[in-house]
Amino acid sequence: MRTLLLGTPVLLKVRFHGRGGQGVKTSCRILGRAAFLTGYVAQDSPIYGAERRGAPVAGFTRIADQPILERGYIFDPHILIVMDETLLEDWMAKPLEGLVDGGIVFINTSHHQHFPETNNHYIVVEHNLTDEALDIIGKPVISAPAAAAAAKLTGVIEKQALLEATAEELYEIGLDDETIQKNLHVVSNVFEKVPTVPHRFNEAPAARRQVISLTVGKVVLHEISNMGNAYLRRTGNWRIFRPVVDYEKCTGCMICFIYCPDSVISLDEANKPVIDYDNCKGCMICMVECPLRAISAVREGKIVA
Amino acid sequence: MMTGNTAAAWAARLADVDYVPAYPITPQTEIIETIAKWTSEGVMKAKLIQLESEHSMLTAAGTASLTGARVFTATSSQGLLYGFEMLYSIAGWRAPIVLVNVSRGVAAPITLEPDHNDVLAARDSGFMQFHAETCQEVLDLILIAYRVSEDKQIMLPSIVNMDGFYLSFTREPVRLPSPKTVADFLPPYEAFKPFRANTSVVKGPPVLGGHIYTYFKYNLHESMNRALAVFEKAAEEYRHLTERDLRLCEGFMLEDAEYVLVMTNSFTTAGRKAVKLLRERNIPAGLLKITVVRPFPKKQIVDALRNRKAVAVFDQNISLGLGGILYNEIAGTLYHAKNRPETILSVVGGLGGKYIALEEFETIFDLLIHPEKIDSTEPVFLFRKDELRDVEKALKLAGCGGWFG
Repeated sequence: MRTLLLGTPVLLKVRFHGRGGQGVKTSCRILGRAAFLTGYVAQDSPIYGAERRGAPVAGFTRIADQPILERGYIFDPHILIVMDETLLEDWMAKPLEGLVDGGIVFINTSHHQHFPETNNHYIVVEHNLTDEALDIIGKPVISAPAAAAAAKLTGVIEKQALLEATAEELYEIGLDDETIQKNLHVVSNVFEKVPTVPHRFNEAPAARRQVISLTVGKVVLHEISNMGNAYLRRTGNWRIFRPVVDYEKCTGCMICFIYCPDSVISLDEANKPVIDYDNCKGCMICMVECPLRAISAVREGKIVA
Repeated sequence: MMTGNTAAAWAARLADVDYVPAYPITPQTEIIETIAKWTSEGVMKAKLIQLESEHSMLTAAGTASLTGARVFTATSSQGLLYGFEMLYSIAGWRAPIVLVNVSRGVAAPITLEPDHNDVLAARDSGFMQFHAETCQEVLDLILIAYRVSEDKQIMLPSIVNMDGFYLSFTREPVRLPSPKTVADFLPPYEAFKPFRANTSVVKGPPVLGGHIYTYFKYNLHESMNRALAVFEKAAEEYRHLTERDLRLCEGFMLEDAEYVLVMTNSFTTAGRKAVKLLRERNIPAGLLKITVVRPFPKKQIVDALRNRKAVAVFDQNISLGLGGILYNEIAGTLYHAKNRPETILSVVGGLGGKYIALEEFETIFDLLIHPEKIDSTEPVFLFRKDELRDVEKALKLAGCGGWFG
């Protein structure tokens, strides 16, 4: 068992936030395996709800130099990896919640500066993983690059272990050699580019939480407006690409209207499509089905929700 | 004179139920046949539908209840288990249906005769459980079950249990209360925010993060516990209206009893006979029948059993690898009681409807009087020599001696 470097906690906690389909689970696994291969005790796990693309997902990796005596959700991470910047404003994912004082927030962003440069409570590192993945891998899947960013920020993972872990995890989920090689290429780039951030975690003892004796005293029926309410939730910020209609080419054949799986395309008086960008998830089925190629994909550049 | 099944059908008719989703299974079928006859004759207004399985049947029952319909249904054994996952949902939805379970041993080997592994499998589901000893109690408990289930402090479904054959197909005198009496006793069911075509209603939403789940589970538990007092109040009113006396648990020759047998369901009748006989021999025997199994009337059980010399719990069920289910619940309940009986004997018998002979009851009381003979780690498994001979004969005919000779 290796001893964690001086200045780091005995147990280093990393939390990943992303969306279903981005590779959050694989990220936390790559980091976990990389830590294990470096010689630490590691533990990784994901948590997700509705199994669907785009829904908020979290992953957790614990790294220690002695047996880990906790499991499950990480409430007080040292390092946060936000794989989708739109989650910063998601009232369900709440990615910044619980970050320890002096903790590190990594944000995958295509347009920098979500936060002021200096912040007394945490250190922000921003990097554009999605475009790097699009350039080299050809798909916006950022499990391996996000793990690379996390590995660098832990300050304790060896690059060789990271590459080995990446290859192993991606092989296990069935990727072909070529795709794995491309991922290793991105991982290597990201590991070099993400800066080394010295750890200055200031773990204040947690405020004591009061244990109560629960008495409800009445029948509580299920009229609870729970998180994930379909009406309140704007799914437009799941998009990586935005379908844009060229109304010059469009003949109003209504095929996109029929194929849209989320019913976010309505028709105007001329039967031409009107896309509800608050809720369109960017699946691009409309683009594929349009017989006139009148719908194109435009890379999203800003947060819509 | 009527069978337990007919008594159950009468209770549904008197309760003026709106909807009866059904799926046939022996020994429950006669209940639905009777209701089908009445609805086709027009003497009963309920809508009767046959579904394609017990799972669908229970789903239909729970959801219909959430629209504000009073729902009755019945099943048995394999059928209850086939619909099992819906039991937890119906309870969680707070849908106050009444389900009659006609107890039947669970396969394999397959049987039609009763024991309580079917109904007791549902003991943690959030359904209240009322277990009947007589055909009369079947009727009475269904009416009381509706009253308790639909009480605004409770809003939980109920199972009324009767033993297959011993009650379901056994005729005995049953007094029917008048429709007026039932109407006085049982006010109309009022659903909270019922399902309607034009409004959005949330029932049983997904919750992640264990605290919300815990809150709702605890809320169900609280309602269950409140049901003890609500049952007692309802039973008291029922007593005034019908002169029939139903209790959470009921003593027989209990007052000065030193040796007490705890039982449930129809075999209690045979237990009464055995106790009477022992009393004739000057043995201070007594019996405690538990009618309400969920919520579990802990206080009443402790009060009834403390200061006794020895207690035997008769389980017509077996948790394989542990023993009797109710024995373990009662032993746990008594542990913290002052002056608890020194001896608590576990007896397993009547599986698959196996008859309990007087000699077997005598054996139980003999052990209570001579506790030094008891192996406290294992239940006494009631079986007779003549029965063993019979089994061995059947095995010989089948040419089977077993793996070990």
